[in-house]
Amino acid sequence: MPTPLFIAQIGLTLFVFVMLLSSAAGMVYVERKVAALLQQRIGPYLVGPKGLLQPLADIIKLMFKEELRPSAADAFLFALAPIISATCAFAAFAVVPFGGDTTLLGLIPGGLRLQVADVNVAILVVFAIASMSVYGIVLAGWSSNSKYSLLGGLRSSAQMISYELSYGLALAGVLLVGNSLSLTDIVNRQAGTWLGFIPHWFVVVQPIGFLIYMTAGIAETNRAPFDFPEAEQELVAGYHTEYSSMSFAMFFLAEYVNMVTVSAVATDLFLGGWHGPFLSESIGWIWFLLKVAAILFFYVWMRWTLPRYRYDQLMRFGWKILLPLAVVNLLVTAAGVLYFGS
Amino acid sequence: MTPFYLFAAIAVGASLLVIAQRNPVYSVLLLIASFGALSGLYVLLDAPFVAVIQIIVYAGAIMVLFLFVVMLLNAPQEETLPDLKAHSGRRTDVVRYAALLALALVAELVWALTREGGSPGFGAPAVSSVALLGRSLFTDYGFQFEVTSVLILVAMVGAVVLARRDER
Repeated sequence: MPTPLFIAQIGLTLFVFVMLLSSAAGMVYVERKVAALLQQRIGPYLVGPKGLLQPLADIIKLMFKEELRPSAADAFLFALAPIISATCAFAAFAVVPFGGDTTLLGLIPGGLRLQVADVNVAILVVFAIASMSVYGIVLAGWSSNSKYSLLGGLRSSAQMISYELSYGLALAGVLLVGNSLSLTDIVNRQAGTWLGFIPHWFVVVQPIGFLIYMTAGIAETNRAPFDFPEAEQELVAGYHTEYSSMSFAMFFLAEYVNMVTVSAVATDLFLGGWHGPFLSESIGWIWFLLKVAAILFFYVWMRWTLPRYRYDQLMRFGWKILLPLAVVNLLVTAAGVLYFGS
Repeated sequence: MTPFYLFAAIAVGASLLVIAQRNPVYSVLLLIASFGALSGLYVLLDAPFVAVIQIIVYAGAIMVLFLFVVMLLNAPQEETLPDLKAHSGRRTDVVRYAALLALALVAELVWALTREGGSPGFGAPAVSSVALLGRSLFTDYGFQFEVTSVLILVAMVGAVVLARRDER
């Protein structure tokens, strides 16, 4: 006999999956609308009220397109690459907590943690899955057997390796301050305020770590201004040049889901997760959603404001500025934790 | 017990396939699958930290570099048998060294497996707690830890020297 808690867990897993899917669709709409706003255009407005059904129309269009594969492509890997990308994107969110314990209006007596899996090394799991997601892109580039795809794949692997180090070191700073590898513990350490008005968020003690995390996060998700794997002017569409229909949609989906995950992890690590004024812990997920939405908006804003870097500039920035900064930040944090206690 | 045999079978099977087929890109991927199965074994041993580190370091970082190099060289197929026969002299050398290494490895394995419980390994709780793991790594095993880091530094310096030889 499955207990209510068990059913609730299954329901939660499905809920997270559906929410991630629809957040990706929503992000496509938001991206197009914000881009239009920044460029003084109207953006999508024909499909549905204010163009709200545009993502749905896009999905239907993609589904009815023909699935193409270059004749010289490696059939197995060509099919596998988009699956790896999408799977990694969804898997990372499994360990991200997005709210405090809730009883779901009294339905579940014990209370349910709003997190699919409470792993005690959650930060590292997020990092591990992020490091695996590069394979989807690299294999897509290689298996297509096309020079633009291959160049896109190679650039992507070089870029992700370079920025993963800074990304990891920024995470290490937070786990030193938070004194735990569990995301739930880290969020709960950020409850409360200093002097009654400064929230106890880690962005206050780790401002440089936050900047490094956000920068490396943009590079990890291959977004502008670091979107070299798919630099249109040079590489047509980079690693997914040869993809069409739903397998192209998988890469698209993976990109947006990755953005949501990076933003959710940033919220948990630096912005206090579901803790905030006015709202009790059981409805703290509203704060969580608001913070994630703010970071996502920032992402879109960056994309349409900053021009793309040149490839060598990106590499120089990653290795000669971001990485030393991350190391110094980690050293200073470690010294601070040692001196003040955590 | 069943998960153990599942992961063990994947690890051994994938490792065998790494050397059994000729496309280097597939070899890299199968090696990643093998590392994934190993990581599953670590989870079964109640060592989630080691399991995740296995994925991050080996599957996520080192194998990406492997794949990068394989793709950059764009090596489509391994040397076929006729190629190897053309350089038969080199080939016998290779076989000799390989056989020597294999013998040494088998001897080490037998030695390690027949010795029961003699090693001062970590107890089960130590492996699952990151703090305890770190403490024993930097105190009891401090010397080995530092020696390993020097070894890696030497390898790095060596790689830089080899890469820069043109400028001299």
